[in-house]
Amino acid sequence: MPEAPLPVIAAAPPKPRRAPMPPLVIAGFVWLVLMLCVALLADVISPYAYTALDLRNRLSPPVFLGGTWLHPLGTDELGRDVLARLIYSIRTSLLIAFGATIIGALVGTSLGFLAAHFRGLVEQAVLALVDFSASLPFLILALAVLAFFGNSMVLLVCLLGLHAWERYARIARGLALSAGSQGYAAAVRQLGATPWRIYGRHVLPNIASTLIVSMTLAFPEIILLESGLSFLGLGVQPPETSLGSMVGYGREYLTRAPWILLAPAATIVLTTFAVSLIGDWLRDRLDPTLR
Amino acid sequence: MLRFLGTRLLRAGLTIAMVVTFAFIVLRLSGDPAQIIMGADAPPEAVEAFRIAWGLDLPIWRQYFSYFGAILSGDLGRSMRDGRDAIVLVVERIPATLALTLPALAIKIGLGIPAGIYAALHRNSWADRLVMAVAVAGFTVPSFVLGLLLVLVFAVQLGWLPSGGQESWRHAILPVITLGLGGAAVLARFTRSAMLEVLGQPYIRTASAKGVPWRRVVTNHALPNAAIPTVTIIGFMVGSLIAGAVVVESVFSWPGVGRLLVVAVANRDLAVVQCILLLVAATMVCANLIVDLLYGLLDPRLRSAPRAAGH
Repeated sequence: MPEAPLPVIAAAPPKPRRAPMPPLVIAGFVWLVLMLCVALLADVISPYAYTALDLRNRLSPPVFLGGTWLHPLGTDELGRDVLARLIYSIRTSLLIAFGATIIGALVGTSLGFLAAHFRGLVEQAVLALVDFSASLPFLILALAVLAFFGNSMVLLVCLLGLHAWERYARIARGLALSAGSQGYAAAVRQLGATPWRIYGRHVLPNIASTLIVSMTLAFPEIILLESGLSFLGLGVQPPETSLGSMVGYGREYLTRAPWILLAPAATIVLTTFAVSLIGDWLRDRLDPTLR
Repeated sequence: MLRFLGTRLLRAGLTIAMVVTFAFIVLRLSGDPAQIIMGADAPPEAVEAFRIAWGLDLPIWRQYFSYFGAILSGDLGRSMRDGRDAIVLVVERIPATLALTLPALAIKIGLGIPAGIYAALHRNSWADRLVMAVAVAGFTVPSFVLGLLLVLVFAVQLGWLPSGGQESWRHAILPVITLGLGGAAVLARFTRSAMLEVLGQPYIRTASAKGVPWRRVVTNHALPNAAIPTVTIIGFMVGSLIAGAVVVESVFSWPGVGRLLVVAVANRDLAVVQCILLLVAATMVCANLIVDLLYGLLDPRLRSAPRAAGH
């Protein structure tokens, strides 16, 4: 049975005047840009290599706790510079989160489109997979896969990429179905366009804003997941370092050198906070239906 | 109602079967079990004998069915580390985990829902802003950071509470607070937006217009309707009672299921990991099933919908 066609709005309603961007969202953008610059320029701005040891200055405190400018954020048990490690950790964590977000969006959207295009068995299979991923908390699933396959950076990124795929799949399927009944997709199909063209050039641009909002909302969740796994020692493996593994390492020195842990912890909180603010703002702005 | 129950049960069974299939597939993809258990330098004849003894020489679909049968009869394999049944190892850790997650669940519900309702009823007041600020913080501060900050303040600086271990009830305070606060924030946010959505509905306006006192409007019209999305989240929280404290248990060295899982993953103790995976999935599916049934109680439309569609 075909779905009831959605009412087509004949004339675009007059555009409401755009509200100015709230100051918190601006702050969020500034922080995010700062983090991106740090990640891109890590090799240039880092004062030391992140594995460089300075054995004469072990566990030295940061400047504001009576340390020296030699190590502005202090050093850890092996005399490694906390600032340098923080810079490289930001790079690793952001890289993983970006990679995983893109993989999740690609996989989810493709599966959603497949389900909408073929219907029938394919659709049922995709929906069954959605049920499956809803039956397990993602952290448990990720831990199980890491136990079975061991750990590598590629696996970690792909695994985190599976987080939230079902959200994209559901959105892409629903929107593709309603687009199919709206006429424009049928029109290009009548003109002889291939499915690639229909979905890539016509349906995708129409649902892009919803997908971008979902990506902004999934991004901080992936940062939190990666840092959680790395904190447990099951994510990013040494000598590589990420924000979560820095906190995990710093935990051993909680009483003697809390600065090892506080700098990466603050970075995680501020970054997820910034992206969440931007995501909420984008959602209210672009897609009031997604709540 | 019977039909509603039947379809839900069928779907729950299917999901469990999919989790078992998933466990089987990754288990087989991760390497030759005979080789893993016997070790890389085992003589080939011994490995071959092991294969025959455990049925690993059979076609893959027969292995799949015997695997399924074994799991249905409760045989989940032995821990590779201490040789005991994996299920025993896991079950004896459950009380410790519940000792954290149950009080935490009480905090989440007791704090999160009233805060969310209050915030929605006093939209844009300072209380609403405070609840929302805390709710956003609850999402952006990961549990390990919150836990370690609490340790830093209450255990290291003030020395009021122990920082880890499981000797007395005082050891449970910090982990329970860590778990409870994060969940309460999530629940408050959901309850608030569910309430706001319901309060904007025409039937609320109708009820107040016909002179129903506001208190009655809230308790009889708004709350039952706002309960539906909130119950979903609570269902998820109930479903993760057994393994929802993986990170927090690690922060506070609490010997529960989550800690066991982390250690088992690090040691690649596959039988234990698989056992926890299945147990969590079963709990989750049961919780989802209960939530589905509660929907039927809360919203009569959902109960009769399949029948209406059938005729």
